[in-house]
Amino acid sequence: MIQLKNLCKKFGQQLAVDDLTLQVPAGEIYGLLGHNGAGKSTAIGIMLGQVWPTSGDVRICGHDVTAHRRLALQKVGAIFETPAFYDYLSGWRNLEILSSYTAPTSRQRIQEVIEWVGLSGREHSKVRTYSHGMRARLALAQALLPQPELLILDEPSDGLDPEGIHEMRQTILRLHRELRLTILLSSHFLNEVEQLCTRIAVLNRGCMVFEGTLAATKQRGWIRLKAGDFGLAVKQLRQAQLITEERDGHLIALGPGIGTDQVVRLLVERGMPVYEIAPVEDTLEDFYLSLMNGQKEVEVK
Amino acid sequence: MTMFYRHLRNELWKLFGKKRTYIGFGAFLLAQNAMLLTFRFTRWQADLERMLAGNGYLAKEYVSALTVAVIMLIPQIVLLMPLYVALVGGDLVAKEVEDGTLRMILSRPISRFRLLFVKWVAGVIFAAMLVAVLGGTALGFARLWFPWKSMFVFVPGTVFSLLSPDEGFRLYLWSHLFMTLNASVVLGIAFMFSCFNMKPAAATILALSLLFVNLVMEGIPFFERYHEYLLTYHFRSWHNVYAQPIPWAQMGQSLCVLLAANLTAFLIGTAAFQARDIKS
Repeated sequence: MIQLKNLCKKFGQQLAVDDLTLQVPAGEIYGLLGHNGAGKSTAIGIMLGQVWPTSGDVRICGHDVTAHRRLALQKVGAIFETPAFYDYLSGWRNLEILSSYTAPTSRQRIQEVIEWVGLSGREHSKVRTYSHGMRARLALAQALLPQPELLILDEPSDGLDPEGIHEMRQTILRLHRELRLTILLSSHFLNEVEQLCTRIAVLNRGCMVFEGTLAATKQRGWIRLKAGDFGLAVKQLRQAQLITEERDGHLIALGPGIGTDQVVRLLVERGMPVYEIAPVEDTLEDFYLSLMNGQKEVEVK
Repeated sequence: MTMFYRHLRNELWKLFGKKRTYIGFGAFLLAQNAMLLTFRFTRWQADLERMLAGNGYLAKEYVSALTVAVIMLIPQIVLLMPLYVALVGGDLVAKEVEDGTLRMILSRPISRFRLLFVKWVAGVIFAAMLVAVLGGTALGFARLWFPWKSMFVFVPGTVFSLLSPDEGFRLYLWSHLFMTLNASVVLGIAFMFSCFNMKPAAATILALSLLFVNLVMEGIPFFERYHEYLLTYHFRSWHNVYAQPIPWAQMGQSLCVLLAANLTAFLIGTAAFQARDIKS
């Protein structure tokens, strides 16, 4: 659905996106992570033909965005952080205006989308009277009007209260489930990405430092061990060459080809009680932070 | 074509949906009434009558609604109209970039050229409406105080004309076409600056500064032989509609220069906008 190949973007001397190659397959909820200034919004801008790439190819729905923007964006909807509207016009009028830039949209379709996002009854009020949550729903409505196949969401939960964030998350899941949309989600909220995305890419200073499934970020090989005496257990396990590392007073890393059954057997044979042994799944936050810290160390070196 | 009309309608909704648009129109009406009262109740009217009488004309025949309407229009077209039109033109693109709405539009499959062209056409329609409203209200208010009689138009060094009511009204309508062209040129210049990466106020100020520089240069004797290169010189072509005989060659030249200036401003703006990165 989205294909970026060796994409570069320079603003003057500053390299905002550096040799970015990325593929978002149809049907995925794909997360784009990175700190402020990592190049996420620039990459999204390039995908939407708002920012000109310095070099590289961008294809959306099979069409080159730079050469055939009209074709490429025909089935694309987008939402940006702090959605902007014509505040002095009604929600309905805003939808009429924005949708007409894609194709003529019937009143019935507008009404249908308004109902879908839950803005019924307020569509004829001026947008300046809308709460932040209602504006977010209006933003979603304008993105859905052209019946998109791809939805690009750039920090959609930015500025929303916890209820609003929850609602946005549920809506994204609903869009994916009911409308079968491919979604590219750029977000700062790691737990949001963790709950929504099937695949992620992490950007740092314009470079992609990780790309893979969310499951891959969780498989780090740490095992939580609760034994009578953790220190002594670690000593015994090291001597038997069953583990390679330990940390935090309750985590061990198994040696290659070693199973947890071997660890338990050894400890029990040596008379040590084992209360719990289970693989640990890192949170996305742990993964992200370790990735970024690793990057920092590389930069320092 | 349907899409073009739809986009144009959108732009007009945006333009006429703003309160500021009507505040501007209101300000013009106030200024017109203030001028009318000043003309009626100060020495202004007496001075005009004296000038007519001094030239051997029956003053009462020529101090009419048409005469006063043109007197009211001259300062408005020179001062207020450029200011207001430059404000609107400066907003057309830069305000949308500043507010973030342009980013929403540009996530849609519309070409930048088409978007700008529609905005520019909407701006020209706005300029034409503004001039029509100014002309209509000036004549309407003047008619409340003065009779419908022959017309006298005096522009120092250019025009001294006495016209029958019918001929005067016909030329009054014609002059509005040229005023519309003036307004659209001012709008075009502000629009051009608005297409660059700058704040709306900066675009307005730059457009007004450009016109001011033209005006100042026109007043410097050294530039007298270069008048044809100055926009403000050609802006005065609407006065010539009332000249007898009408200097068609000069008006044709002004028309071409103003149209070319407008087109150039649009193309420069479009080229600049086309090359820009639109970011939040």
